[in-house]
Amino acid sequence: MRLLRAFIALGLVATAMAAFAAPLPAKGKDPAQEITSQLICPCSCGEVVSGCICETGMSMKATVENGIKAGKSKKEIVGALVSQYGEVIRGAPKPEGFNLIVWIAPFAATLLGFTIAWLFLRRLVRRRGERVTAAAHGDVRQETVAFLSGRSLEEDRDSLRARAEAELRQMKQGREA
Amino acid sequence: MSELGRLSLLLAFACSIFAVGSIAWGLRTGLSGPLRGGRRAVWTVCGLTVLAVIILERALLARDMSYRYVAEHTSRDLPLHYAFTSLWAGQEGSLLLWLLILSAYGSAFLFAYRKRLDPFYDAVAMVIACVMIFFTGLLSFVSSPFRILATPPPDGMGLNPLLQDPGMMIHPPILYTGYVGFVVPFGFAMAVLLLNRSGTRWIEEVRRWTLFCWGFLGVGILLGARWAYIELGWGGYWGWDPVENASLMPWLVGTGFLHSVMIEQRRGMLKTWNITLIALTFLLSMFGTFLTRSGVLTSVHSFAESNIGPWFLGFILIAATAATALILYRKALLESENRMEAVVSREGSFLFNNVLFVALAFATFLGTTFPVLSEAVTGTKISVSAPFFNRVNVPIALTLLLLTGAGPVLSWKRATASVLKRNFILPAFLGLVAALVALPFGATGIYTLVCIFGAAFVVTTIVMEFARGIQARKSAETGALPGQVVRLVEKNKRRYGGYIVHSGMVVLFLGVLGSSVFQKEAHGPLRNGESLKLGPYALTLRGVTDHQKQNASLTTAIVDVQRDGKFLATEHPSKAFYSKSQQPMTEVALHSTPMEDLYLILGGVNEDGSASIQAYINPLVSFVWVGGLIMVLGTLIALSDKMRLRREEKSA
Repeated sequence: MRLLRAFIALGLVATAMAAFAAPLPAKGKDPAQEITSQLICPCSCGEVVSGCICETGMSMKATVENGIKAGKSKKEIVGALVSQYGEVIRGAPKPEGFNLIVWIAPFAATLLGFTIAWLFLRRLVRRRGERVTAAAHGDVRQETVAFLSGRSLEEDRDSLRARAEAELRQMKQGREA
Repeated sequence: MSELGRLSLLLAFACSIFAVGSIAWGLRTGLSGPLRGGRRAVWTVCGLTVLAVIILERALLARDMSYRYVAEHTSRDLPLHYAFTSLWAGQEGSLLLWLLILSAYGSAFLFAYRKRLDPFYDAVAMVIACVMIFFTGLLSFVSSPFRILATPPPDGMGLNPLLQDPGMMIHPPILYTGYVGFVVPFGFAMAVLLLNRSGTRWIEEVRRWTLFCWGFLGVGILLGARWAYIELGWGGYWGWDPVENASLMPWLVGTGFLHSVMIEQRRGMLKTWNITLIALTFLLSMFGTFLTRSGVLTSVHSFAESNIGPWFLGFILIAATAATALILYRKALLESENRMEAVVSREGSFLFNNVLFVALAFATFLGTTFPVLSEAVTGTKISVSAPFFNRVNVPIALTLLLLTGAGPVLSWKRATASVLKRNFILPAFLGLVAALVALPFGATGIYTLVCIFGAAFVVTTIVMEFARGIQARKSAETGALPGQVVRLVEKNKRRYGGYIVHSGMVVLFLGVLGSSVFQKEAHGPLRNGESLKLGPYALTLRGVTDHQKQNASLTTAIVDVQRDGKFLATEHPSKAFYSKSQQPMTEVALHSTPMEDLYLILGGVNEDGSASIQAYINPLVSFVWVGGLIMVLGTLIALSDKMRLRREEKSA
């Protein structure tokens, strides 16, 4: 069960990471590049501004560099550019209104996928457990049911070993008798 | 000649319809004659398509400007080899290439199974022929490459300069070979459902076909990335461009299938899921073509004006509906033969890995199509580009990397605690050590650390698997270690081929990590003799020259590169002006070493005579290409396993 929980935690951690995902850390990148790497050139080239060498891209880079020199914040610089060129220059849409769908849906889908996969696997495991219970009716395969009913793997292995040892003892006693 | 071209496509259309009708009749009545007739019709479609391609190629090479397609995509000064590859420069030619590869697949499929009398294979051919109807119809009635101009122009408009690159000569055919090939697995899946077939033989065959197409698609994607790196001149190789995303989506879902198919083969489980993945992979490859050819990405309005967009959408919807209906109708056939014994098992890990592959494909799909959706709903044009995908897809991909390490070392059916301890403690420990060692080198971000941990974790699990395999065969093996590794791989090519693919993926991940997180950039106007500093490099402009090549004029900057004060090389970043398109194109100068690339771009020459130079240090880019090549090697090894089996079958 602990391992199972670990699996689920892995999924949740991944989703949480995604939900609070920040842009990739920009090691060694100057502040201007940090801003321009999040913007798209509005001309037909459609490149990320940091790598764009067309006229519009170069002018946007200059605006960002001048803004930084003038002490403006990232928000102010990006806001000014958006008011000039429109929302289309944001490489990632602002997470508000209808745009929330594109931000939430991938993480929700991942989480949902994990949940469905987990429930599906549990159902298959349980179904087998039920089948085994019906067939075994308290015979030697009881321990399998015990495992499936939620005991830990170690407990399960110990129980199997104990059972095997008991049966061996019985056999030995029977032979001696 | 254009009439002959048109006629060949019309006949191909008729033959495709005949093939479907004839095979359907044969399957219904059990008569072998109609089945034979259907098979011949599929061969004929291939022959007619080859004829159509030859006619169009002849026109392209002769620059016959009476053809509208030739006038739009070539010019008289275009080098001959680019005239040849202009076949896939435009919509009509690309569709013809699609049909050529599709019909070649149909024929290759029939050739491969020519000795099998089972009508199942005819049913597969029928599904392939259904797709042929769509493409031959599209090329005959909607988007013909053989349209003739009433007054031919003296010269053509020329080939898009972006496509005038050696990479573009092979990238599209290889990519299409991957894309189109998914029609065969789709045909298998639909045939199983149509004929209500049980058994697992087909699943091994479909795995092989899928692996083949998946390999080609992977190589195509890699070549596309290399082309973007060299030709587009923005400093990177993957921009999450819709065209790139279109090829990535079927690759992702196909990768998921290649994992979950193992569960079906070994345990007879997840049949519905596998058939769904096959169908989804094919539909996504169709959707990819739709995305790139319908104009839907430019805006919703251009989609409405597109002559093929609505047809493609209609076909995808019909195929999706038919596949869904068949899956639901044959629900009983797809019942699992076995039950799961424990969630913590290889089956369980594969299912979670499938969730992540599909989630990645979904995130990519949503991000790619969202601008159109948003424009349609809110009326505002927005962009969903690299900054979005990097935030959303990177964490999912990293989780996948961790599972790549976990999956192979979990045992089938049920992983016991002792197995888990034995297999996980060392990889996790070494992963932590790797992350800690990387910390002083500037690896501080959470993603960076997770990636380094994951890479070390996966590599350790793979090495352990090889070590265990060698250990198990120790009594039978003698000789040096490399020889033992080779013999181990030969004994189970499929399994160890898969591990080699995984190790290639780790190398690729490291390449992506290095080149995205640790990239450095500097730019500025330089006059003769002036220098630009970038990390340990000093870039000094020595002059600017102009010269003419066949169909373009080139402006080249001569830049001396010094590293840590020592002269390294003279580089020549250029800007080309193509006479026909009047478009400036960058010709990147690249100084590659295994650990980093120095990437130079000439932005232009300013009025004051200075040259605008943009420079990047891209660490570990070579890892991306090497990782890709290792993945290809692993795929070839995994594929050759079946070839050996087939030889054995024959000799038996």
